[in-house]
Amino acid sequence: MSIEGFTTAAETVAPASSPNIDLERDLARLIVTALSLETPAEEIEPEAPLFGEGLGLDSIDALELSLAIGKAYGVQLRSDDERNHRIFASLRSLAGHIARHRTP
Amino acid sequence: MAGAALTPPAWRQMPERGNTFWLRFMIGVGRGLGWHAGHALLYPITAYFLAFSPRQRRAAREYLGRALDRPARLADLWRLYFTFAATILDRVWLAAGRIAGFEITVHGLEALRRRAEPGPGEPRTGCLLFGAHLGSFEALRAVGDAGCPVDIAVLMHEANAARVKAVFDALGGSRRTTTVIPLGCPDSMLRVREVLERGGLVGLLADRAPAGQRMHLVEFLGSPAPLPTGPHLLAAVLGAPVMLAFGIRTGPRRYAVHFLPFAERIGSGDRAGREAAILASVERYARAVEAMCRAHPYNWFNFYPFWQEAAA
Repeated sequence: MSIEGFTTAAETVAPASSPNIDLERDLARLIVTALSLETPAEEIEPEAPLFGEGLGLDSIDALELSLAIGKAYGVQLRSDDERNHRIFASLRSLAGHIARHRTP
Repeated sequence: MAGAALTPPAWRQMPERGNTFWLRFMIGVGRGLGWHAGHALLYPITAYFLAFSPRQRRAAREYLGRALDRPARLADLWRLYFTFAATILDRVWLAAGRIAGFEITVHGLEALRRRAEPGPGEPRTGCLLFGAHLGSFEALRAVGDAGCPVDIAVLMHEANAARVKAVFDALGGSRRTTTVIPLGCPDSMLRVREVLERGGLVGLLADRAPAGQRMHLVEFLGSPAPLPTGPHLLAAVLGAPVMLAFGIRTGPRRYAVHFLPFAERIGSGDRAGREAAILASVERYARAVEAMCRAHPYNWFNFYPFWQEAAA
């Protein structure tokens, strides 16, 4: 019960060895088009939060984004992934997740 | 437009703590003394709330005047408050799936059943259920007992989710578990999608939204009132069918659960034209809830100035 919750919360996503600059740029464009954002893709800070105070996305945006990511990269984002808060944290973390799971 | 000015909604300022106290009180009474004693206590409890909640009373009076099409009398306020208190008491049993002693009629189950158990060759699609703060959403659990075995998840605001979960936990002993999906996590809607993919139902109350959510002003019982667009946007993004669901209290331990077809899908799937489809959908939702309010005026439990923002 609580012990499980504790360990999963403390789990971390291993940082990608190096940022995937191309993928990040690509993903930023996908985010902007999939969500019809007014922010230009180049202005999305790789480390800034995507949700809440950063880019200001909400959970419906996350759903649309995950559908678009599934289509573009073949990576299915699932709700049972305990690391979702970290995966969705920023452009960089999202790109890192895609890089590790995409079908080549 | 008025969208940004619609915060903070008045219901967020309503005494949640008080509600929790009374909810726990009701659970204690219901479990300790049984339904009949609990029901007898509803009279003094109703009197207490009617006497000591001037702000809610004012809001209720405004609503009743609109729904009844005449000035609300004290007897109307009494019935509204009493019905509200009664649904809280009944929740002790309904939320735990203990419906012995209850008379629950279900309307429109066939349409719902076709979703959960499609014919050969038809895809198994889940369904979103849009409710309202109208009657008892817990009564919807009766669908399981009416022979429609489906997963039901309920999507709700985080603070309420914690509260409701605490209540469910306090009740314990539930045979079926109702999954509560808290709003406000990046993956909230992914969870919704996954329940639907399994052919489950996801219920949400589409007549209120927390601060900061996009609202659309629609004509409701005679004046414009703000209703959230989020539920309709969610349905549009998912491409999921939507049914309306209301559990109306019609008497002591008597409920009529209505499932009404609403939309096969909202919008056409692309973003162009989606906005208009969503607003049209909010309008249609308002019409349906309005009809329910007129048919069952004492089942409406939004005890805050529903039209306030429109007037300001």
